[in-house]
Order: sequence, then structure tokens, then C-alpha cells
Amino acid sequence: MESRETTRNLSYLGVLCVVLLIVPDQVNVYYRSFIMFTMMYVVLALSWNIISGYTGYLSFGHVLFYGVGSYASAILVADYGWNWIPTLLVAAAVGIGVAIVLGYPVLRLKGPYFAIATLGAAESFRILATVWDDVTHGGEGISLPNVENSFSTYYAMMILMIVTILVSYWIAHSRFGVRLNAIREDEVAAAANGINTTLYKMIAFVLSAVFCSMAGAIQANKTLYIDPDTEFFILVTITMKLMAMLGGKGTVIGPILGAVVLYSIQEVVWVAVPQAHLIAFGVFLILVARFMPRGIVGFFVDRGWARKGMVH
Amino acid sequence: MLGGFLAAIYALPFAVGMMSGNVYYDLQWLNDLVTVMMSGMMQGGVYAMFAVGLTLIFGVMRVINVAHGEFVVLGAYLTYAAFNTPAFLGISAYVDPLVSMVLTLPIAFVIGYTVQKVLLNAVVGGPELTPLLITFGLGISMINIIEWIFSTDYHTIPYYPDSFQITESIALGKNKVISFMMALFITASVFLFLKYHRLGKAIRATSQNAEVAMVCGINIYRVYLITFGLASALACAGGTLVSIQFGFNPETGLTYTVIAFAIIVLGGRGHYVGAFIAALMLGILENLVSFLVPNGTAMVEMASYGTMIFVLLIRPRGLMGPKID
Repeated sequence: MESRETTRNLSYLGVLCVVLLIVPDQVNVYYRSFIMFTMMYVVLALSWNIISGYTGYLSFGHVLFYGVGSYASAILVADYGWNWIPTLLVAAAVGIGVAIVLGYPVLRLKGPYFAIATLGAAESFRILATVWDDVTHGGEGISLPNVENSFSTYYAMMILMIVTILVSYWIAHSRFGVRLNAIREDEVAAAANGINTTLYKMIAFVLSAVFCSMAGAIQANKTLYIDPDTEFFILVTITMKLMAMLGGKGTVIGPILGAVVLYSIQEVVWVAVPQAHLIAFGVFLILVARFMPRGIVGFFVDRGWARKGMVH
Repeated sequence: MLGGFLAAIYALPFAVGMMSGNVYYDLQWLNDLVTVMMSGMMQGGVYAMFAVGLTLIFGVMRVINVAHGEFVVLGAYLTYAAFNTPAFLGISAYVDPLVSMVLTLPIAFVIGYTVQKVLLNAVVGGPELTPLLITFGLGISMINIIEWIFSTDYHTIPYYPDSFQITESIALGKNKVISFMMALFITASVFLFLKYHRLGKAIRATSQNAEVAMVCGINIYRVYLITFGLASALACAGGTLVSIQFGFNPETGLTYTVIAFAIIVLGGRGHYVGAFIAALMLGILENLVSFLVPNGTAMVEMASYGTMIFVLLIRPRGLMGPKID
């Protein structure tokens, strides 16, 4: 049963893969970018989900990994003349480093304290990026050499998204994921049952940082200009959090669904009324937290419209 | 342990200052240092006022209000609106910010009351992260509504720009001294209210044990409403006092949230006197950082953030919090 479900889910993913491979040649640059950014938000929502959905540690500052990744990549491309593809690995390494250094103290904090600590950490990184202008060019930002890259970034993001989905799927179906869920439900009980909670939280945090920072790096090479205020923009955290929560945190399909739905809505509303869309985001977050704590997926499962196994 | 840590944290800006050559050993510099520390203390008094509001909410409901800084900014903008209303109507006069508090504080109280009634009463006592998400969403909406109305420009309110000359070379801005006095007055009134008034006693009883308070005939949901309203009014008063000293724009709210949170962590959760002392300490530390560290004005936020993290790690109960958590 379990293996049949896995085969089926993997074949869905394969179909998605083929569709995404064919699409970019058929559409214009606008739609290509649109799909690419949708995939980016899928990556971001899934990576937020790894630490916050599975492990239950609500991160309010995940944008910092995104920002760190984009800065690592942009600095290497703009100042050292690297090709952008290898810089993704550097961005991932930097993301891992930051996650370890930051996670070591911060993951000891619980609940709201963890949330506020990550919120403050993201702000600190924004300040650091502004102040440390020898390396980061400060507030004026970094411009990257202008090249046509809508195809290359599209495929890079696609591969990253597939890998993120596979890793999330693996986590949800492995003992590792079960242990993370145990930490979420009751950390003391999990520790009493022999789970090295510190280690597992750290692995989850690092995993979620890697994908986030690589997504940031690809984004930097797509938009070709970054500055501290956009790369460490708190709205990015809110967006990924809202997407994961809207879809249903703690599942695999949830964040994907949330990202696609929300980004599509956003793209339409954004053009019409830029300010109202941010206000609506806040209201939306309140409504989801209040009335749909388990998201769209949870909503469906509760009503028996979807089997529990399907959503994992 | 905590003493050593605090000594270290205060020594740090001096060490950085010495390394980067911002420390001189003459009388002028010492006078400047004293000025900076005194104005830091004044600033801390203002922080204390809105941090007490956050402590109050946390103590009574175990809810962390992430939108607290946005209430501070709301207060600043209400003051700004009141200040400019006569000019807007074509009268060449200004409403004194301190006088406008008569109007703005009740408005903030009503807003806080409504927020608690509509959004939070249903989730108090549930999973502790739900209110966090709700207030976060509320904060985002508030920032953008303010941005919509007032744009993202920085605003300031010119208020007594001259200064008191304390000694020959130490001078303090009048607006700072006035805000400090006002903050002391308001904080003291709140302490007295909590200590002696019937409703204040009900609030304290609820924060000690909600169930027993309920058994004693206290309507705890009403207490929640009043607590949140009061805390919002305190934040709003903080906003007024901030607005006559510093520039503000809609996005400065996040800074104040982090500052207020750092203060209640350092002071000890739910401890009002601790919060007050911690606020003065943090105000001084912030000003030392901006005085001694190169590029310090941008690094000020790091002071509150760093203090918070290290206190949480070294001594989670803060200066005066209860021993057992």
C-alpha cells in the first residue's frame, strides 16, 4: 500500500516535471518568469515547512537565509566574475554556515521566544548588509551584469523545486520525519524516548536553510539587482509562512498548493491595487490562523474529501 | 553570572570604541559621555512605558503581542495627525502633542479593546502560537494601512528643539526631558492603578491565576479586554513621546517590538519593576552603542537584539523574574 502510494505520487511528480520542461519554449518571457517565481515560492514555502511545519518551531525570520544566499551569489558574480551556476553551491554552503551558527543558540528557545529571536535575527542581517558596505555595497545594492537568463534560471529553479519536493516527501515518510513530528508534539517526551532533539532540530533547520538560500541565489541572478531592503524584506517571510499555512503546514502537498494559489492571486491583485494587497495579506494571515489552522489540506481531510495518505 | 554578563555587554561598546579610536581621554569627551548616558536614560523611560504594556498583556494572557510596536507607531501617527489638524483646517496653530494625548489615548484604548474582542478573546488559552500569528498579521495590516494614508515618508514633530543647560558642557534636549517626565508620570500612575484600584487588582489576580480569579467572581474576559486596551493606550502614549524626539515612518514599528520584547526578557517576564529597570539599562546601552561604535546609529537595533538573545540563553528568567518558570 505504502509503496503503491509512493509510486503514484512519484509519477505525478514525473508528469509535473515533463510539463514544466515543455512549457518554457511555448510561452513568452512574462509567463516564464511567472512560473519561475511560482516555483521559487514553492521552494520557500516547503523549506519553511521543514522547520516550522514538521518540527513546530515557527520561524519568523526565514527571509534571512534567502537574503544571505542571494548576497553570497551576487557578490561572487558581480565582484569576482564567477559564472552564476557554481555560486549556488557557495550560497548553499553559506546558508548552512549561518544556520549552524544561528541555530546553535536560537534553537534552544521555545515557542514565542524562538519566533521573536528569528524575527530579530533577520532584522540584524538586514542591518549588517547595510552597514558592511565594503563587501555588500551597503544600501545602494548590487547590480549584476545584464544577460538573458530566463531559461537558465527557470531550469535551475525547476531542479531545485523537484529536489525540495523529494526531500520534503522523504522527510514526511521517513523515521526522521516521525522524529521531527514527535518533537513538535511534545519535545520532552521525544527526548525521553531517546531522540536527540537538539541534533534533529539542527538538521531540520539546516535543511530548510539550504533550499531557502539557493532559491535566494537563483532569484538574485534572475532579477539582476539586489539591495538589503528587498532581500531581507519581512514580507518574504510572511509570504512563505502564509503559503505554507494556507495549504496546510506539516504536509508536502500543502505548501505547494498554497504557494501556487496565493502567488497566482497575488499576481492578479498586485497589479490592480499594490497597497491593498499587503493589507489583505495581514487579514488573510489572521483568518487562516484563526479559522483554518490546518490549511486547505486539513480542511479537505476533515471533511473526508481526501484521504490522509494522499496529502502527505 | 548575570552581573558579569551585563558588565561585559556594557564594556563591549567601549572596547570597540577604543579599537576604532572613538575614545578620547579629555574632559570634553567625558562630558559627551555623560550627556549620552543621560539622554539614554531618558529614552529608556519612554521604552519602559510601552514595554510595561507588553508585559501586562503577556502577564495576563500569556500572549505575545507582535503588533505592539505597530501600536507605538500608531500613537506617533495619531499625534502627528492631531498636530497638523489645525493647519489642515487653515488655522495657523498646532495642537500640543501632550495635550493631544487626551484624545489619542482613548482612541488607542478603543482600538485595543476591539482587537481583543474580535480577534484574541477566542484564542487565549489555546495553542500559544496562534495569537502570535494573529497579532503578526494584525501588525502587517496596520503598517500598510498607515502607509496607505500617510505614505512611507519619515515624519517628525518639531517640539521644544532647544535644550536645558545642566553644566557648562552638558546639555539635554527639552523634548527628551519632558518625555521622560511624562513617561515616569504615566508609568507611575499605571503602577498605582494596578496596586490600588479594584480593576487593577482584578488584572493582577487574573495574571496570577486565571481560574481562581474566575472562581472569585472576576469576569476574566472583561479583564482581558481592559488589559489589551490599557496596553494599547500605553503603547500609544509611547508613540507620542517617541514622535516628539525621533523621526518615524510606518516601518519603524518592528524595531519597537523587538526593543519592548528585549526589555521584558531582560526585566523578567511579567515583572513590572524589572521591566522599568531593564528599559533604562537598554536605553543607556543603545546610546552608548551609537556614540562609541563606528556606524553605530545603524547598529543600535543590534544592542537590543543581542541583549535579548544572550539573556534568554544565560538567564532566561531575566533580572527579576520568578525562579521557577
